[in-house]
Amino acid sequence: MTGSPPPGAADRPGSFFIGSRSTAGSPAVFPVLLGLPVLLWQLIFFAGPLVFLVVITFWQVKSFRLSPAFVADNWEKVLTSTAFLRALGHTLTVAGTTTVLATAIALPAAYTIAFRLPPRLRDFAVAFLVVPVFSSYILRIYAWQVVLSPQGVINGIAGLVGIEPLPLLGGAFSLQIGLLTLTLPIAVLILTFGFAGVDRTLIEAAENLGCRRSRVVAHVLLPAIRPAIALAATTSFLLAFGDYVSPLFMTGSKPPTLSIVVVDTVKSGSQWPRASVVGVSMLLILVAVLALGQLLSRRTRLRRGGR
Amino acid sequence: MATRILPRLSRLAQHLFLAGLFVFIAAPMLVIVVFSFDANRFPTIPWGGFSLDWHRAILEDAMVRDAFLNSILVGLGTAVLSTLLGFAAAYVDYRWRFFGKRAFVLLVAIPPAVPVTILGMAMLAFLSRLGLFGRLEAVIACHTAVASSFSMALIRLRLNDFGRDLEPAAWNLGASHAAALFTVVVPFCRPALIASFFLSAAVSFDEFMIAWFVGGVHETIPVRILNLLQGQVNPKINAIGTVVLAVSIALVVLAQWFVGVRVGKRTDPT
Repeated sequence: MTGSPPPGAADRPGSFFIGSRSTAGSPAVFPVLLGLPVLLWQLIFFAGPLVFLVVITFWQVKSFRLSPAFVADNWEKVLTSTAFLRALGHTLTVAGTTTVLATAIALPAAYTIAFRLPPRLRDFAVAFLVVPVFSSYILRIYAWQVVLSPQGVINGIAGLVGIEPLPLLGGAFSLQIGLLTLTLPIAVLILTFGFAGVDRTLIEAAENLGCRRSRVVAHVLLPAIRPAIALAATTSFLLAFGDYVSPLFMTGSKPPTLSIVVVDTVKSGSQWPRASVVGVSMLLILVAVLALGQLLSRRTRLRRGGR
Repeated sequence: MATRILPRLSRLAQHLFLAGLFVFIAAPMLVIVVFSFDANRFPTIPWGGFSLDWHRAILEDAMVRDAFLNSILVGLGTAVLSTLLGFAAAYVDYRWRFFGKRAFVLLVAIPPAVPVTILGMAMLAFLSRLGLFGRLEAVIACHTAVASSFSMALIRLRLNDFGRDLEPAAWNLGASHAAALFTVVVPFCRPALIASFFLSAAVSFDEFMIAWFVGGVHETIPVRILNLLQGQVNPKINAIGTVVLAVSIALVVLAQWFVGVRVGKRTDPT
């Protein structure tokens, strides 16, 4: 985090409470008073549930009741079931496709926002993109359903021109439309801030040395924003991988993704341990993907330092 | 000549591409609003004529009214708690160094990165053991755990611009820590605090998986929409959607207005 106290402050003995040794009677009370509620809240309502989820994966269901145990049964059953493996493969393919599409579409868009728009329009574009990140995702998916459905808007227009209704809803196409609705705004935002953070003198230097725009983009801009690209890609993957709404409404959950499997298993009642195994597996995959993203952005930093 | 035309064409293509993307993002919202005033039962082309029937119908729907009320309660509760906790977390991160600080900050920052499906399931399992399941308070508590991440980020960003010497100056002048906090730090953070209030309300107002799992029979408005969508085609959805869109867009825009979203540094002469 930025804005940490001046170097050396923490090395001094007793300087836990920076710059306040003279005023505070009992220096440790105040930070505890402020920090403890936050800590407890996040432990009870965030960390606790996740830890408990891991614990449940080892429990058993006896006569429709969940009972504490320590068996690897659930893991074995789920991880070897073809239904799970098929859903896993499907979810990975879908999320991977979304990641590639979202990054490929967001890159030129972010470039245009960061370098081609005048400042006021640029701020407006960013403000516009922030809105869908925080609002109305489920409604927008419903709207796509209205637009793409067999009797929907597009086919209504096609019908007026005399084109046969197209089967737009219910396949990979509509699923990607839904997932891009979810991922594109945030991917464009991350990359726009990435481009905006590039040192303009680097670009001018390259141009002065005779680089054409395409070479500037390939050799200066893209390497410079590699961390932002990695972040945009991992964020897109994370959102698409865990999404429940698009698979449900754009494909009617056929074939099911892992999120659909989780919800169906939970709602059907008695199979909590197995649903937890699926959930924890999803988390493990996401941790691996995040680590990969970190690795990809760190390698640039090392290489740049070596030059 | 060709060397002049090519860059222009390329620029035009870039702008058209961006415009296309913005249409893609805005279109779904427009569709909802337009068809909420459509007289037809099923939303399609051609338009069935202007009508306020569906807007009137949702006013008479008790379940929708209750859901709105629940959403407002949960949104307000989440906004207040998340801003309080987010401020405490941001200030602790700004002011002190201690063992385990990284873990502390991560514990607040990470929740939005966990898929809500898994988070909702885990919260349901855990909270039902604590006897908190199926209550609006539980939804508020869980939404706060997620939204405080955004609150902390907004307030921490503001604290970056807060002079490191201002607080010690207040202490030297005899102010207690609490007095300095409330008369120096909090007023400085006010825009971020207000923004955090609106943004966490928006996050709560939009969230449906956690609310669906944890809320039990107490539906918030997005949960009501989710349940309506799983049934028959219901023309009320567009009307509900229009109201929800108006509220959530207003919340996010207000939040942005108070922090002033800007790209890059504006002080540069370039």
